[in-house]
Amino acid sequence: MADNADALIDSLAAGLTPVRYRTATRDALAFAALAVVEVTAYLALRGMRPDMPAAMGEMAFWWKAVSLLVLAVIGVATAIAALDPARSPRRGLRALAGAAAVTVAVGWGVDAARGGSADLIARLDWRHGIDCIAFVVGCALPALAALAILMRRGAATDPRGAATAAGAAAAAWGGVVFTLDCPHDDPLYIAVWFGIAIVIVMGIARIALPRLTRW
Amino acid sequence: MAAAEWGALMAAAQSGHGGAYRRLLGEIRPWLLRYYARRLPPSCVDDAVQEAMIAIHTKRATFDPARPFGPWLAAIARYKWIDRLRAMKRTAADALPEDIAVGDHETAVTSASVLTALLATLKTPQATVIRLVKLDGLSIEEAAAATGQSPSLVKVNIHRGLARLTARLAALPDAGSEPVPDHG
Repeated sequence: MADNADALIDSLAAGLTPVRYRTATRDALAFAALAVVEVTAYLALRGMRPDMPAAMGEMAFWWKAVSLLVLAVIGVATAIAALDPARSPRRGLRALAGAAAVTVAVGWGVDAARGGSADLIARLDWRHGIDCIAFVVGCALPALAALAILMRRGAATDPRGAATAAGAAAAAWGGVVFTLDCPHDDPLYIAVWFGIAIVIVMGIARIALPRLTRW
Repeated sequence: MAAAEWGALMAAAQSGHGGAYRRLLGEIRPWLLRYYARRLPPSCVDDAVQEAMIAIHTKRATFDPARPFGPWLAAIARYKWIDRLRAMKRTAADALPEDIAVGDHETAVTSASVLTALLATLKTPQATVIRLVKLDGLSIEEAAAATGQSPSLVKVNIHRGLARLTARLAALPDAGSEPVPDHG
């Protein structure tokens, strides 16, 4: 067995090529670059919602945009940190769950402050809701692909945890991108349809990423 | 050899220095052997060491020279350990070769001390058959005869016990981690 080991060491050393060591900062910058490209591409393809100036005066719009951005930032930070073999994503995932709970609670508050009593079905507007799911999932896919590439290059020792964080990050980021164009600001509508989209992307990530990034 | 020196050797290896890399792998190997000897059945130790060395090679870019080498090495070793335990689950029903552990029987029975301690946390029927088949090298039928469990129950208990063990280990980031190697 010692001969085998020596042969393995010889072959690994003989085939050694220089590598540039990864850092979390470099990975985060790569993701940020992709984020800028995706926002630019989305604006070029679909443009911003026409009532954006008016929407920016609404508390609900800022609730949606800021909450999704916070979730995306926590998710990306957790996923990238988890690519270091000596780091666990569990604390970040707990923070993510906490932030999601706060998002829903604040949304409920924003909703209650409106005092509207419109019909629930009309508010949910399921035809547009399904479109929303498709757009959020679609906008999440480039981010998910980028995180999958980073995950392959990294060495996550908790692949399921890292995949869950990557899925949450990509989904929340997809939501941020779609916020540029999505005309809905009703917290109930956002919580239901964006929530479903986030769960779908997290499910895809949780199933696919550990298999694609196995080492 | 201090772990800090291993870090310096790996940094040199990242720059393409084959000599430093060969020395590093040569010095890491005994540490890996000790690590897996305490955690795996003897028949799995050499394979686990080789897999860990290949993982160290393919993932060498994930070592940041500004950070300590010991925890990085221990994390990779642990990941491959859990991987091995999962693989044992997949091969739970395979007949084991007759020559397992022959020639070093005492070590075979007593060496996997961390694994033995972990088995104590499982239900007794699961722990017993894993110990008999995976550590002592008995066949499924022999374990069935020794415990009074049916052969299919032995397989189910091995499968479930190992699944429980790996799930528990994966959920606890620090469980069973080896002390940072101060000496190679």
